[in-house]
Amino acid sequence: MDNYFDILVYSSMMVLIISLILAFIRLIKGPSISDRVVSLDLIASIIMGMILVYTILIKDAIYVDIVIVISLISFIGTVAISTYLKQKMVEK
Amino acid sequence: MNEISVGIILLLGALFILIASIGLIRFKDILSRMHATTKATSFGILLLLIAVSLYFGTYIVTLKSILIIIFVYLTAPLAAHSVAKSFIDNNNKTD
Amino acid sequence: MKYLKKPYYIVLFMFYYITKLIQSNIVIAFDILTPKMHIKPGFIWLPLETKSKLGLLLLSNLISMTPGTLSIDYDDNKNSLLVHVLYNQENVINDLRAIQKRILKLIA
Repeated sequence: MDNYFDILVYSSMMVLIISLILAFIRLIKGPSISDRVVSLDLIASIIMGMILVYTILIKDAIYVDIVIVISLISFIGTVAISTYLKQKMVEK
Repeated sequence: MNEISVGIILLLGALFILIASIGLIRFKDILSRMHATTKATSFGILLLLIAVSLYFGTYIVTLKSILIIIFVYLTAPLAAHSVAKSFIDNNNKTD
Repeated sequence: MKYLKKPYYIVLFMFYYITKLIQSNIVIAFDILTPKMHIKPGFIWLPLETKSKLGLLLLSNLISMTPGTLSIDYDDNKNSLLVHVLYNQENVINDLRAIQKRILKLIA
């Protein structure tokens, strides 16, 4: 019983690592700068997911607070970058 | 039995995040990519938080999970809107 | 009676939101995982019938979460919302109008 649960937790960690690699490919390749902003937003969400899976892995609920901080900072960062891009366009 | 269902919900949430990043690779233009990331990612985070709060089962973890869910669902469309608006203003193609 | 009606609409709206959410995720997962892409992106202007800030927030938030639509821009002069759609068909605008009618009933 316990063994199946460990397999499920480790395989979901594996799935999240694969999706992190795919998001990094788009971050390097992305033609425009908006693609990179979107993929950075996705990477922040993937790291939130990895911390949640790690919380279950070590059986300690203290890391849930980090997820709150990452969700706040990722939203502020995305809005700041896109506002900066709009501002730069107006000045040009 | 309870632990197995928690694990299945966890794996389902991780798979939705994987779907979002496959969509980020496969779609052709940026606005379609944003469709994939803004929906599937928030749903994946929702499933992972449900799994965590079912696994621990204490009040404080459940309360923090509900707070994160409300925050993510309020801000994910706003972030997508902001990026899309800056892209539209730069490229100026609204048909 | 009026105070009893409002929570009823709010609960109904939450159930509607959750069903739309699950439906949109299934649609987008199906479209990403099948090898052949059948998307046809396009833009739609949706004329609004309200000017309240709360209604606008709820409407653009729900539009971003329903299958195949993403709210992009708000024009103050025309009082309408620019929506990016993935499946460009005739009945998309009718779906958006139905959502707007539901929100107008909620905030009235």
